[in-house]
Amino acid sequence: MANDFDFVLIAKVLPILLQYLPVTLEILVFSILFGMLLGIGIAIPKLLHINILRQIITIYISFIRGTPILVQLFLVFYGIPILLKIVHIDVTRMDAMYFVIITYTLSNAAAFAEIFRASILTVDRGQIEAAYSVGLNGTQAFVRIIFPQALRVAFPNIANTMISSLKDTSLAFSIGVMDMVGRGETLIASTTRALEIYLALSIVYYVIVMLLEKVLKSNERYLNRYMPKEAVSS
Amino acid sequence: MTIDTAFIFEAFKEISKVLPLTLFMTVTPVLLGIIIGVIVAFVRIQQTKFFAPLLNFYVSFFRGTPIIMHIMLVYFGVPIIVDVLAKAFELNIQSSSIPILFFVLLALTLSAGAYASEIIRSGILSVPKGQLEAAYAVGLTFSQAMRRYILPQAFSKSIPNFTNVFIGFLHATSLAFFLSVKELTGVANIVASINLKFLEAFIAVGLIYWGVSAMVEWLAHRLEKRVTAYNKGGI
Repeated sequence: MANDFDFVLIAKVLPILLQYLPVTLEILVFSILFGMLLGIGIAIPKLLHINILRQIITIYISFIRGTPILVQLFLVFYGIPILLKIVHIDVTRMDAMYFVIITYTLSNAAAFAEIFRASILTVDRGQIEAAYSVGLNGTQAFVRIIFPQALRVAFPNIANTMISSLKDTSLAFSIGVMDMVGRGETLIASTTRALEIYLALSIVYYVIVMLLEKVLKSNERYLNRYMPKEAVSS
Repeated sequence: MTIDTAFIFEAFKEISKVLPLTLFMTVTPVLLGIIIGVIVAFVRIQQTKFFAPLLNFYVSFFRGTPIIMHIMLVYFGVPIIVDVLAKAFELNIQSSSIPILFFVLLALTLSAGAYASEIIRSGILSVPKGQLEAAYAVGLTFSQAMRRYILPQAFSKSIPNFTNVFIGFLHATSLAFFLSVKELTGVANIVASINLKFLEAFIAVGLIYWGVSAMVEWLAHRLEKRVTAYNKGGI
C-alpha cells in the first residue's frame, strides 16, 4: 500500500468533488442567513431584559454552545420527525438537507445572538442620546447610528462564525446528505483509496476557507474605513 | 410515538460510564497542543528562517480544514508512514497493531497545537513591549523576562480563549464516533441502535456534554478571577 500512493487520483477526484461544492455552499448560505435573522430575533429579548423569554434564550444559547454540532445534528434529525408527528405531520421522507440547514441555523443563531448583543452593548450610550437630540426616533437611531457601528465591532466575530460554520458543513454527510464529503465517501467505496480522497477534500476545504477569509478581511477593512488608521492596523 | 423519558435516564447512566475516556481524549490533546503551541508561537514570533514559513502553513492548514479531515488524514495516512519507516529501518512495528485511539489523539493534538499557537501568539503580542524592556532594565535575561513577566500575563489574558479551545476539543472528541471509538457519542449511538431509541440516547448524551461544558466554563471563570486578581482596581 505504501508505494502506490496515488497523486493522480487526487487530481482526478478534485473535479468530481467540486461538482458538489454548491451543496456545501447552499447549506452555508442558508444557515448563515436564517441564523442571522433568528440570532437578531433572540438577541432582542436579552437586550430589552424581557424576563422569562430572556431566561429561555439563555438556556438555549448555553445548550448550543455546550454540545457538539454532531449531537445537535442527530437531535434535529431524530427529534423533529417525532415532534411533528405529534401534530400529525409526516416528515419521514423529508430530504436530509433540510435537517442539516435547520441544525446549522439553530447553531449559528446562538452564536450570532451573542455577537449582536455584545456588539450593540459596545456602542456608547451617548450615541443614541445624540441621535434622539437631533430628532431621530428609536428605530431610526438604531438603524442609522447604532447598528452600523455595532456591525463594525461584530464583523470579525461574524467572520469567525462563518468560517467555522463552513468547516462544520463537513458533518452533513453523517445524516446522509450528498455534499462533497458524502460524494467523497462513495468515491472511497468505489476506489478503496481513503487517504487520497480525504486529501483532496482537505485541499478543497482549505482553498475555500482561505478564499472566504480573504473576502471577509476585505469587508472588514471596508467597514473600518472611517476609523483612524492606527486603531485598525492588522 | 412519544419520547420515552425513563429511557433517557437509562441511556444517561449507560453513556456516562465512558465520560472518563472522553475527558482523557480532551485533556491529552489540549495539554500536548499547548506545548506544541508555545513552540510554534515562538518560532513564528521570532520569524526563524525555514521553520517559520513551514509552521505558518501548519497553522493555517489545520485551522483551515475541518477537524474530521485531520482525524481521517491521520487515520489513513500515518499507517502508511509507519509501514514505510518500519520497512526502511527493519523495525518490528506493524501499523495494524496501533490502536485507533492513538490516531484520534494524534489528530486532535496536531489540531489543538495549531489553535493553541494562535492563542499564545496573540497573548504574547498583547503584552505591551514596555514590559519586556522594563524586565531588561532591571537586568533580567530574555528567558527570565518571558517566564516571570510576559508568559504569566499572556496566559492570564488567554484563559477565555483556552476555555473555548478546551470546550471545542471536548466537542471534537465526538468525531471519533466515525472511527467507532467508544466515547460518549459512539456509545450513545450503540445504546440508541440496540434499543431503537435514537432521540432519547442523543438527548442523554447532549445533557452530558452540556453539563461538562458548563462545569468547565465555571471553573475557568473562577481561575480567571484568581489569576487576574492583580488587576483589581485598575482599568
